[in-house]
Amino acid sequence: MGDLKKGKLTHRTVWEKIADKLRKRSLWMLHYCTGCGAVELPPTMTSRFDMERFGIVPYVTPRQADILLVTGYLSVKTLKRLILVYEQMQSPKWVIGFGSCTINGGMYWNSYATIKQLDNYLPVDLYIAGCMPRPEAIIRGFNRLIEDIDNGSAQNWKKYYLNYEFYKKNQEYVFGEVNTNLDIKSDIKRFKIK
Amino acid sequence: MTRTNDEVRDYNLFIGPNHPGISGNYSVILKLRGDKIIEAKAEGGFLHRGFEKLMEERLYLQNVAIVCRICVPDPDPNEENYSRAIEEIAGIEVPIRAKYIRSMILELSRIASHLLAFGSHAGSIGLYTLPNWTISDRDRILELFEELTGGRVYHIFIIPGGVRRDLPKGFKRRVLEVVNYLESRLPEYDDLFINSKLTVKRAKGIGILSKENAIKWGATGPNLRASGVKADIRKDDPYEAYPYLDFDIPTQVEGDAYARLLVRRAEIEESIKIIRQIIENIPEGPVWNKTPNPLKWRIPKGDAYVRTESSKGEFAYYFVSDGGVRPYRVHVRGASVTHGVHILENLLVNERIEDASQIIFSLDACPPEIDR
Amino acid sequence: MDYERENEFIKDIKSVFKEVVCTVKRERRIEIELPSERLFEFATRMQKNWDYPHLSAISCVDWIKENQFELVYHFWSYNKKILVSAKIRIPREDEPHFESISSLWQPAKFFERDIHEMFGVVFDGNDDLEKFILTEWKGSPPMRKDFITRKYSIEFYGERKYNPEWMKELKKLGDSNDKN
Repeated sequence: MGDLKKGKLTHRTVWEKIADKLRKRSLWMLHYCTGCGAVELPPTMTSRFDMERFGIVPYVTPRQADILLVTGYLSVKTLKRLILVYEQMQSPKWVIGFGSCTINGGMYWNSYATIKQLDNYLPVDLYIAGCMPRPEAIIRGFNRLIEDIDNGSAQNWKKYYLNYEFYKKNQEYVFGEVNTNLDIKSDIKRFKIK
Repeated sequence: MTRTNDEVRDYNLFIGPNHPGISGNYSVILKLRGDKIIEAKAEGGFLHRGFEKLMEERLYLQNVAIVCRICVPDPDPNEENYSRAIEEIAGIEVPIRAKYIRSMILELSRIASHLLAFGSHAGSIGLYTLPNWTISDRDRILELFEELTGGRVYHIFIIPGGVRRDLPKGFKRRVLEVVNYLESRLPEYDDLFINSKLTVKRAKGIGILSKENAIKWGATGPNLRASGVKADIRKDDPYEAYPYLDFDIPTQVEGDAYARLLVRRAEIEESIKIIRQIIENIPEGPVWNKTPNPLKWRIPKGDAYVRTESSKGEFAYYFVSDGGVRPYRVHVRGASVTHGVHILENLLVNERIEDASQIIFSLDACPPEIDR
Repeated sequence: MDYERENEFIKDIKSVFKEVVCTVKRERRIEIELPSERLFEFATRMQKNWDYPHLSAISCVDWIKENQFELVYHFWSYNKKILVSAKIRIPREDEPHFESISSLWQPAKFFERDIHEMFGVVFDGNDDLEKFILTEWKGSPPMRKDFITRKYSIEFYGERKYNPEWMKELKKLGDSNDKN
């Protein structure tokens, strides 16, 4: 499995460093409530805890969103739609795993309908622990992501192109074949991933 | 063979799982002709975890920790139903002080769920100021829960035999402060949302559920009361401390989306009245009747059907025990099982596409209850 | 305690269905055991003659040792305020057939669809029995008692093994509170 070693794939030119400094202040989050952890998102978005002061705004279409927030457990039926949504988002993009169900299955560890490890199907940048995390913990997670974008260590979206067969094999094992028309070769050329 | 003009114009529109116009992870497939809806089909199952199977593999006390996650905005009727089913089969008595505390928790949870429903309904029309107000006010109730039980959303407080611990010092005064504050905010919600000309013009006359259809299609809760039927499980089939309390059941006659909104707003006032009575009259005494060793506890053979009035409707459990250490069968009848599938499909026919989102939010169906 | 209203209603039922077993469990709860051929007649009488418009739920229980399925129908009346649970038994096969009551009650359509995909019981007369929840599921009906979910989950989805290497790295980094 190809790994991101320091220096080879995390090297950034001067223009990319400036672009990252500007990007980190205006991240748009995709508003897709996939599981039961989504009930702590309205308090975070509204006036008491207010995450809009960091520039993070919930938005509805995947084509214009940067962060995918996987809130809680994922059943197999939702995972199929989530992969389609993930592949429609434009690079660079970040995935945050929310709650303990994305790490090891959580409370539903012996269920026949939920997936246990999100790492096998999508590359994840950050995990927020809790069941469910408080709004203050969510904001702390976002701040950590902003720092990571600034110093160049949040580039796991490139792993999806490099290890595409691994992710695709796990996805098809769980829910069958889906044709998504993702063009790997031209994307690797455009973003200069080697 | 040529197609008629109408058949060429028909097309399918997916109000799919990733959509702000639907409450939660649920999907409705519409068939449109121009701007008018001809047919609607609901599709669920995105939130399925297999709860009924998980509960058969855990001990009786282990299930108390996971059962509250079946309904996400209003989790307390789940714990109440589970504990009351076990008490009915095993013949355990609950002390009177615990009954009053349980009723107070259920009423606070009902107010929090109705405030969240207001916010969603206003968001579907375009009034984004109201969710900012109601969700911040709902946070004060969640702070009360955090002080009493330790968790903001999922409480795990109602266990078979009573409740887990007694009220802390000064708690009654703090509950009265929050309740007085919420009552002073109701006129402001009226001025901004409920009596404004925009809401009245958009919400009146759409999604009409007549009285015969409401009974025939199995509606319960505020949806039934907005069509003129005066039925409430707290009065018809009473449980906990409700026989000792004095409250009213608000109803409306028209059965459209505006009538459902008015019924929910009146229920908040009634709940505030109930909480004030509980705080004045709560008796002293123990709060938990000790149950035997939880790892080896066996319940005698039998079955029970318990029902609760949650904020969405009639919530019921059918519980079967065969004398072992694990439940044999637990069947969960969520409150939105009839609202989210059949009534939604029938009410959307012959409406326009711009009213579809408002009809979905005014029925207040919660997808985790349908999928379990 | 003397359950007057419940016993009066039991007399009405027994005047038509002479050999059934009726018990009063507590206040406002009556339980009836019926032979499975007479259920449709019972349901028609409940709705038309005895004022029971609300079907609360249909539940299914898998008694694997006795080789039978049990279907329980719960009816509620807004005027009489007594809940009646009618229980019947059908044999436990791969695809048992039973008559549907969805022509009388519309909520029964969804309850029967749910029992069909979870247990495998086919209801004749219900034309809407396609899968609602388990559309990507290829195995046997999951709520039967011979399907063990813990074994299936560990085999199919795998487990994250406890790996001491990353534990040591985390301990070296210290608590994240020190940095922020």
